[in-house]
Order: sequence, then structure tokens, then C-alpha cells
Amino acid sequence: MNARSPLASAAQSAVLLLFFGMIVFPIVWMVLTAFKLPRDVHSLSLNFSPTVKNFGIVFEAPWNIGLRIVNSVVVAFFTLAIAIPAAILSAYSFSRFEFAFKRGLFFLMLATQFIPAVVIILPFYLMFRDLGLLDSRTGLVIVNLAIVTPFAVWMLKGYFDAVPVECDEAALIDGASRMAIIWRVIVPMALPGVIVASVFCFILTWNEFIFALILTRDKAVTLQVGLVSFRTERGDLWELMAAAGVFITVPAFIAAVAIQKHFEAGLTGGAVK
Amino acid sequence: MHDRFTRYLLLVPALVIVLGTTLWPLVSAVTTSFRNWRLKRSPVPQGWVGFDNYVFGFEEPEFWNALKVTVVFVTLDVLIAVAVSLGLALLLRRAGVLQSLTRAVLILPFAMSPALIGVSFRFMFNGEYGVLAKGIGWLIPPLADVIWLASPGYAMAALILSDVWHWFPYLTLIFLGGLAAVPVETEEAALIDGATPWQTVLLVVLPQIKGVIAVALILKTIFALKMFDSVQTLTGAGPGITTQTLAHYVYTIGFVHYDMGHASALAVVLTALLVGIGMFYTRLVMPPKAVAR
Repeated sequence: MNARSPLASAAQSAVLLLFFGMIVFPIVWMVLTAFKLPRDVHSLSLNFSPTVKNFGIVFEAPWNIGLRIVNSVVVAFFTLAIAIPAAILSAYSFSRFEFAFKRGLFFLMLATQFIPAVVIILPFYLMFRDLGLLDSRTGLVIVNLAIVTPFAVWMLKGYFDAVPVECDEAALIDGASRMAIIWRVIVPMALPGVIVASVFCFILTWNEFIFALILTRDKAVTLQVGLVSFRTERGDLWELMAAAGVFITVPAFIAAVAIQKHFEAGLTGGAVK
Repeated sequence: MHDRFTRYLLLVPALVIVLGTTLWPLVSAVTTSFRNWRLKRSPVPQGWVGFDNYVFGFEEPEFWNALKVTVVFVTLDVLIAVAVSLGLALLLRRAGVLQSLTRAVLILPFAMSPALIGVSFRFMFNGEYGVLAKGIGWLIPPLADVIWLASPGYAMAALILSDVWHWFPYLTLIFLGGLAAVPVETEEAALIDGATPWQTVLLVVLPQIKGVIAVALILKTIFALKMFDSVQTLTGAGPGITTQTLAHYVYTIGFVHYDMGHASALAVVLTALLVGIGMFYTRLVMPPKAVAR
């Protein structure tokens, strides 16, 4: 577009600036709070003497955020380590082969995503209670697979579709097995897509709340559920919540920013087609 | 050729996971929904009660309250989030410093955990010292004395605001992707023909991305219907139960009252609702041809 009045473009800049501020403000405010002493937490002034003490306190009893971090990392790692390879195999099959009920099966995979978490957790809670898997990281990995796997299959199929079938055929002629084709040809060629899908699944698992809230009590509590414990009879310990929030946010932000370039293409590619 | 079996073998791991972690729980929830099973009284399921859990469930005023809260929340939340993100995406099409700065932070709220967002907004909406409560009071003086999370309407507003904040940047990214596919020529032609910029956007640009808008509306609706995390950490469904969504209601019946039969019946109803909307979504996104590559 051309010939805009300076007034209109100034108004536009103002609106953009407002949007930018709206997006970053809650994050900035949380980070600032994490550096505040308890006496400064209730003040809106930016003139406070910053402290890093909160980041240490959250590692002490009763908060034990070190253990929560380990739990969150272990659960996310094993969830991805199981879900992504399984999703790669079936995404390849969906992408390359014709078979009976293909459309129905793919539809089923997607449909499972619409089942609310609270429905999935009811039977698992009862089962884990019988198996002694309540408050265990194993239990969390199992239920997290439910939210991550169908999503990964769906995203990966889109990326595999973009790899020309000729690549498979060339490798087949050279005598490669399907497994070799998947791992040595398709995955390397669609690697950005595999990374984007993995990062998405990581963010989903890392930020998962309701499963951990219901299934864990003490040993297996994750970072997300750990947040709830800062609500004490002494009131809300906002500066500690904010410090824990920083630990929650940093890995997810790093992962998200790392795939930012591929992000738009990735999601909309799947959604718009 | 051995590929005949390979294609099925490759599906096995993911299918086992999906069947075991989503369809089995669903079937199990349906079964439990026909039984009397209060965990506080008995560790094992009691007798079959037919549709009692459903009938009883529909008689509870709390159910209708949760349904009403969900409808209000979903409607306002989806409309505001989609409208705001569509507007922002239109502003972000042009190149510029402010544009690229804003584009760069769009992904951040999406990566943030809903539970943490709830906690942060509870802090910022605190009646005494919340920075948002104070800021809004300063901008709009009549709202200066509002205790946000203690008044039903305002608690709902805070919940919607927090969820819009979580989602609108992500939806903006989706719209930017859609807008990138709109040929500039169509817009230029409209302007040359004498259309105003508003007319151009409304009558030329938006109709070309109506598919993307539909996808965004339905996707957001599904996520809004599932809303639990920040209900729990921001308002705690309160004051009272005035911000209790259906998902939170099922949670309360199941894991506060431990009435498994009743909770399962409610869960089945919620699932039916979501799968219905979800199937509509899938048809829209995935016309029959798309799968058969």
C-alpha cells in the first residue's frame, strides 16, 4: 500500500508498540519479581534493590525445586524418546503407503486430540493406584504420551510428504531396507521438521499441568505443580513463584526461539492445506 | 513384496500408544459412567446403575453453572482472541522495525505454561498491589476500586484476558502464514479501482483467508473448551464457582469429591462435545483428498 498519511502511520506505530508492550509486559514483570526482596514485591516501583537470593531459596526445603527440575526433565526426555521414534515410523507409513482404513486411522489419530485431559486421567488414576504408579515419573510419561504422540504423527506426516518419493526409490534400488530409508534418508532430509515437531512436543510435555497435579504428591512433582506449593498459609510467596517461573520459562523459550524461523511454515503448513 | 507388511508394522508402535493412552481411557470412562463408584467409600467399583450418573449429573445445578460458564468463556475468549490476532496480523504484514520486533516476540506467550500464566495473572490482578489491577484503575478510573478476582464478572474478565494473552500471538502467527499466501496484486487492483483501505481489507483480503480464519476459530474453540490449568491457578474456579468451566467441574467431582461414576459420566458428555467440534474441524482442515496422497 502507498500514500499513507503520517497521522495514520503514527497511529499504526502506536498500536504496534502497544501490542509489543502487551506481549512482553507479563513476562518482564515476572522476571523483575523474581529479583525482588519480599518487602519490594508489593510495590509497583521499579526502584528496588535487586537480589538473586530467591533463585537459591527455591532450591531449599520445603520447595526443593532441584528435584522438581529433575522430574520435569526426566519426564519430558522419556516422553519424547518414546513418542518421536514411534511417530516417525507411523508418519512415514501414512506418508508413503496406501492401505485399508488409512483415512480412518489417520482421522482416529487426530480425533484423540480432542479428548480432554481430564477424561484420560480418570481411568489412569484408578489403574496407577492399583499398580502403585501414583506419584511416579513412569506414570507421568505414560499419560504424557497421550497428548504428544498423535500430534507428532500429524506434524511429521506433513514434513515427510514434502520429501520427494524419488529419494525412497533411489535408495530402494541401491538395496536399502525401509528402516534404513527412514533413518538414513527421510529423517535427515526432513530434519528441520523433525526438530520442530520435537520442540512442539517438548513444550507440550514441559508445560503439562493437570496430569501431574492429579498423579503426583511428593516424589514425582514437576515444576508446574511445584508452583502451587508457593501458596502457603503465610500467603502467596510471589517472589519465589516468579523465581520458579523463570526456571519453567527459560527452557521453553530457548526451544521456541530456536525453531522460530520454521515455526510459521510448520504449523500453518499443516493447518492451511 | 515385503512392503505389504512393513506398512502395517510401522504403524504398530504409535497405534499401540494412541489406543492405549487415549481410546482405552475413553472406553473405560464410558464403562465407569454406568457404575456407582465413590472412592471415598469403596476402593472397587460398586453396582451398575444404568444412566443414573447421567440423569443425576444433569439435575445438578453445578453442571448447568459450569456449562453456562464454559459457553460464556468460550464465546468471548474465542471472539476476542481471533479478532485481536487478525487485526495484529494485518498490521504486521508490512516490513518495519516495529513489525519485526513484534513478530520476534509472538512465540513467547505460546511457549509459556498455562499454569504459570494463571499464577502470574493472579499476582497482577491482586486487588491491593496487582500491577494490572492498578494500571487498569489508573487508565479507567471507575475500575480503580474493583477487587478483580473477588467479583464474579471481573474474575471472568481476568480469566479471559489471561487466556487471550496466551493465545493471540500464536493465532497471529497462523494468520500471518495465511496472509502471506494472498497475492499483493489483488489488493493493489482494489486500491487502484478506488476502494478505501478498509474496504480492501474487508472485501478483498479477508475473504481470501476465510479458510484460515475458520481453522483458527475452531482450533481456539477446542482449546477454550478444554480450559483447566489457568482456571485452577488464576481464579480457582471462584469466587464461589462463578468461573468453573466444565473441565474444572469434572476435575472437582473426580478428584475433590472422588465420585468416579459421576465424574466419568460428565467426562463422556464433555468428550462428545469436543469430538463433535473436533470432527467438524478435521473435515475442514483435511478434505478427503488430502490424506490419500
